[in-house]
Amino acid sequence: MNCHDIQEMTVPYLELDLSPSAVRQVTDHLEDCETCRVDMEAVRQVLVRVKGRTVPDPGEAFWQAFPEQVRHGLGRGSSAGMLYAVRWPLALAASLALLMGAWLFAGIWDWGGRSDQFAGASKSSSASKHIAQQDEPDLADMDWEREWDDEDPDIVLATMARRLDRATVDRLFRGI
Amino acid sequence: MAEASDYELLDRYAGGDEPAFEELVRRHQKTIYDLAYRMLDNHADAADMAQATFVQAFLHHTTFRRESSFRTWLFQIGLNLCRNAIRDRARQQHENVEDLPLAAPHDTFAVTAAAQARDRLGSAIRTLPERQREALLLRIYHDRAFAEIGTIMSCSEGTAKANYHHAVSKLRRVLVADEGTRELS
Ligand SMILES: [Zn+2]
Repeated sequence: MNCHDIQEMTVPYLELDLSPSAVRQVTDHLEDCETCRVDMEAVRQVLVRVKGRTVPDPGEAFWQAFPEQVRHGLGRGSSAGMLYAVRWPLALAASLALLMGAWLFAGIWDWGGRSDQFAGASKSSSASKHIAQQDEPDLADMDWEREWDDEDPDIVLATMARRLDRATVDRLFRGI
Repeated sequence: MAEASDYELLDRYAGGDEPAFEELVRRHQKTIYDLAYRMLDNHADAADMAQATFVQAFLHHTTFRRESSFRTWLFQIGLNLCRNAIRDRARQQHENVEDLPLAAPHDTFAVTAAAQARDRLGSAIRTLPERQREALLLRIYHDRAFAEIGTIMSCSEGTAKANYHHAVSKLRRVLVADEGTRELS
């Protein structure tokens, strides 16, 4: 082994991280080689000086309070975790509610549509006509005054209520 | 009676045992704070990061597969948090450079240079590549075996050793150069 090989083994030698035979080889070389002895001492000094760097002790009060600090952080973490945990069930519940609403409306629309289909063949009721109308104008386009004048106020109010619902649902679904 | 192992304490914590929680934190708080301080170089950040390490560990204790010791797992979490903090800090410093006035009332760079000259070894450790610095800290200050350092750093034992050896060689070169400069002046 030459000096370069030995110097490559300096750190593991000092770290006691060499096989016994390698340790013997390095030790034998060091006995006869001044250069490698100096190099070995330089590396040892580095390790000693690095090891000697201390961390200032933050004090007993800090250590005493530390577990409580962790508990505090954990409390916040847990509640955040809990929020995260309930976020999806909440979102699922909201989606289900919307789907239920959609299903109900779809049912009414289907019923309205079917009524319309049979309107020519059979005599459809005025109620089904009103429901069929739900698919037509948007809330903004409606001529409320005219409806109010032409029809029975109770029927108009009921129609308006249904249209309001439709508009609200439309708005909700537009956001998805 | 023999002292309860970390695993036993963790099981007791999972069952709602508060003293077990406290015992686990007390057992490892100094180690994790030491690592965080050596990574971040100041008390405030080290305290925050040590706290965050335990919080993460306890929040996710059910995902801990117990293939390593609890302490190794804490080291892994702590090291990751510190790495992220150092990267955030570097990013922030980079952004703040643009906000610096052209003529600072005190020459920040001169002050920093003077402080660094007083602590050449410290700044040499700080400027080591991330992996080399981590291997050095875990080996020298925490006396971890290279196999465990590999686990903590998510690399092989050989890579952990190589990183450590490069770190020591680099520090040695810095110190030799430093001695030379001192002899010349
Ligand atoms: Zn030699």
